[in-house]
Amino acid sequence: MMENKKKRNTGFLRWVIALMVIGTVMAFLVSPASAQNYPTKPIVLIVPFSPRGGSDIAARLIAHFVQPHLGQAIVVENKPGAAGQVGWSAVAKAQPDGYTLGYVSSPSILLIKGLRENVPFQMSDFIYIANIQLDPAVIVVPPDSPFKTMNDLVEYAKKNPGKLNIGGDGPQSNYHLQAVVIEKQLGIKMNFVSYSGSGPVIPALLGKQLDAGIPGISSAVPQIEAKGLRALALIDTEKFALLPGIPLIKAATGVDVSPIGASMRGIIVPKGVSADKVKVLEGAFAKLMKDPKFIAKANEMGVPLKYMNAKQFSEALLSDEKELANYINLLKK
Amino acid sequence: MLENMLTGLIYTFRWDMLLAVFTGVVGGIVVGVLPGLSTTMGVALLIPITFGMTPAVGLAMLGGMYAASVYSGSISAILLNIPGTSSACATMIDGHPMALKGEAGRAIALATIASSVGGNVSNLCLLFMAPPLALLALKFGALEYFLVAMFGITIIASISEKDLVKGLMSGILGLFVSMIGTHQQTGLQRFTFGIPALYDGINIVVVMIGLYSLPEVIDMLQKQGAEKRVKVRVQGGLFRQMFEYFNYKYIVFRSLVIGVIIGIAPGAGGSLAGFVAYYDAKRTSKHPERFGKGTPEGVLSCETANNAEMGGALIPTLTLGVPGSAVCAVFLGGLMIHGLRPGPQLFTQNPEVIYGFIFSMFLSNLFFVPLGLLTARYGSRLIELPAVILAPTIVTLAVIGTFAINGSIEDTWLMMIMGLVGYILNRCGVPREGLVLGLVLGSMAESELARAILLVHGDVSQLLIQAVTHPIALILVILCLLSLGHAIKTQYIARKAPILPGLEE
Repeated sequence: MMENKKKRNTGFLRWVIALMVIGTVMAFLVSPASAQNYPTKPIVLIVPFSPRGGSDIAARLIAHFVQPHLGQAIVVENKPGAAGQVGWSAVAKAQPDGYTLGYVSSPSILLIKGLRENVPFQMSDFIYIANIQLDPAVIVVPPDSPFKTMNDLVEYAKKNPGKLNIGGDGPQSNYHLQAVVIEKQLGIKMNFVSYSGSGPVIPALLGKQLDAGIPGISSAVPQIEAKGLRALALIDTEKFALLPGIPLIKAATGVDVSPIGASMRGIIVPKGVSADKVKVLEGAFAKLMKDPKFIAKANEMGVPLKYMNAKQFSEALLSDEKELANYINLLKK
Repeated sequence: MLENMLTGLIYTFRWDMLLAVFTGVVGGIVVGVLPGLSTTMGVALLIPITFGMTPAVGLAMLGGMYAASVYSGSISAILLNIPGTSSACATMIDGHPMALKGEAGRAIALATIASSVGGNVSNLCLLFMAPPLALLALKFGALEYFLVAMFGITIIASISEKDLVKGLMSGILGLFVSMIGTHQQTGLQRFTFGIPALYDGINIVVVMIGLYSLPEVIDMLQKQGAEKRVKVRVQGGLFRQMFEYFNYKYIVFRSLVIGVIIGIAPGAGGSLAGFVAYYDAKRTSKHPERFGKGTPEGVLSCETANNAEMGGALIPTLTLGVPGSAVCAVFLGGLMIHGLRPGPQLFTQNPEVIYGFIFSMFLSNLFFVPLGLLTARYGSRLIELPAVILAPTIVTLAVIGTFAINGSIEDTWLMMIMGLVGYILNRCGVPREGLVLGLVLGSMAESELARAILLVHGDVSQLLIQAVTHPIALILVILCLLSLGHAIKTQYIARKAPILPGLEE
């Protein structure tokens, strides 16, 4: 009896297994259509910085607002270390199943590649989904500074090479790079003083320890609005939406300084994610960037947005990578 | 202005505000007690949760988290000799010896009232004197920061009164560890050996957890034979013991001033405030020899100062948009998410929100008192647990806590190495505080000096002139000299009249 029952059971089990195998094969056969079911579980977004900085706050905002467009929650995971290298390496190595996204920040990532040896990822290890943020550099001075225009500042720097103290995030950061590019393209020499982030540059300017500063515009908005600081020029090709009064560098100096230091932040996935999943992600982030609730919240927080689709984003990064090669040696003191 | 304040005050007593403060405080206590979950991380993780709330309610919750976690770091410092948050580092020096004497309840009660008073007084400064005090923050340039760090470093000499050489060894070890990582002005990597985990330098909390908790465990296991390590002595009600605090008015006042001023100077942080206040209490005490062996003054001085630092740090954060500490930097992000632009206009544009927040901070600083006393009543029994239970618990907490900071396994290795270092130092009678101070202040001193020199285009003579002509710099120079002079004097006296072995305690 027992024997018999056991036999019957194994027979039944066999059937179940067979059905499961058939089911799995079927699932594979119809897999092109199954992208419509992606995503079926929460997605991880790796932020390569600590839970404090601009990247993290923006990423959490994005995670919150993209959920209805994606149909699944995004969970932010901080993997800080080595100025982003640890986190981006993790994205590059992640399973390309579409359930791990990364938050990229450029030109930071390009600088890491350019300045360090043995970085365990290539720029071609990623698929670029969408750019979300753009934070261009701005030249600011204290309100009672003798420099009334950008030209005043350039003239002084020409007459006194290396005397003008300009503070910025650094060293070897986006804004340090921007300062170096300005020096080269305007033919001037300044004294770049590194601070740990754009934030600490502001009090140093308010306390008049610096002649000028080159922070990201988002860090300087409150003080510019309150007239605690004066903005001389925005290093970008488009006016800043929240403060359209700031002159662009080209209008202020006549030279079209390349805005390579502008910090671009967006979404990437590891190479190997299937094309239809990439399409789902592209669609969701495109919708997010048109979501009025998201735009309103970002404006409220002073997070400057700039949408670039996958093609524009990867092209922008590619051309920046090429251009950076001309300046990388100037950053090595 | 008074009208705005009143609006804020009334707003604070809405039920949703009270609930938010309470929730924040409970969360803050958990974050503070668990090593590795820092105040900064707690606030950062809470920010997205406050997305859906009205700004005032969201900020009240963040404030509760902030105040309670700065306080409750002291609980694990006292009971387990692990700093729950970095600002509780100085609390361990006397807090844990008190617990070993069986006075954990008393120590926690004192830390509770000290934190509450420190937080509330600094909050009063924030409420009434924010604009003028914020201007003080702007007077701090690279040179001033360098001198603050130097002043902190001179404290190493006074901590190691017994054996100066050992104290300095420990300090130099700390300065060395602070050099590991990427150099602040040139981007050069020092002592990183191509290991990415070392590029950002050594995390201070990782070092503190290893340095203090593991040697404790090793000692505990060596003494395994002893039946019960500690017998908790309960003497009188904890509530009454709390009021013992007010017998030390002089120390309390000085610690408050130290805490608020260090808070205002952006970037210095709570651990430094605690150390300076501790040192100050020891220096001015009639019985400096009791410090380090479990004296209540040691606990209450640094606990008063590290919570007073909080209100101080919020002053430049709210009025100038310049974060006074790492926590405040996150807090700034929180403000901006709620559509408030920190800066000069904040107090006039959104009075009900910002004054509501300040008043809710008073509540936060009061709400943790009953919760703290409950911990003191029941939690202090924790230390009576036999070593076979307590030791693995501490090790587990230390490992998980370290891993939680950055989610990096390398940090846990580092913590264990530091544990070994701490054990060796302890065995040789080298004070571990020197290492901590050296590490906290080393990179600050170095990068600020480099920046100061860069700002005067390498002309060091100009820097020396500035050190005498800038009033704040001059005060700091004098403080450094006084501190050094005091240390030399005590050394001299100790040499001249060596304590006879028989007379020592």
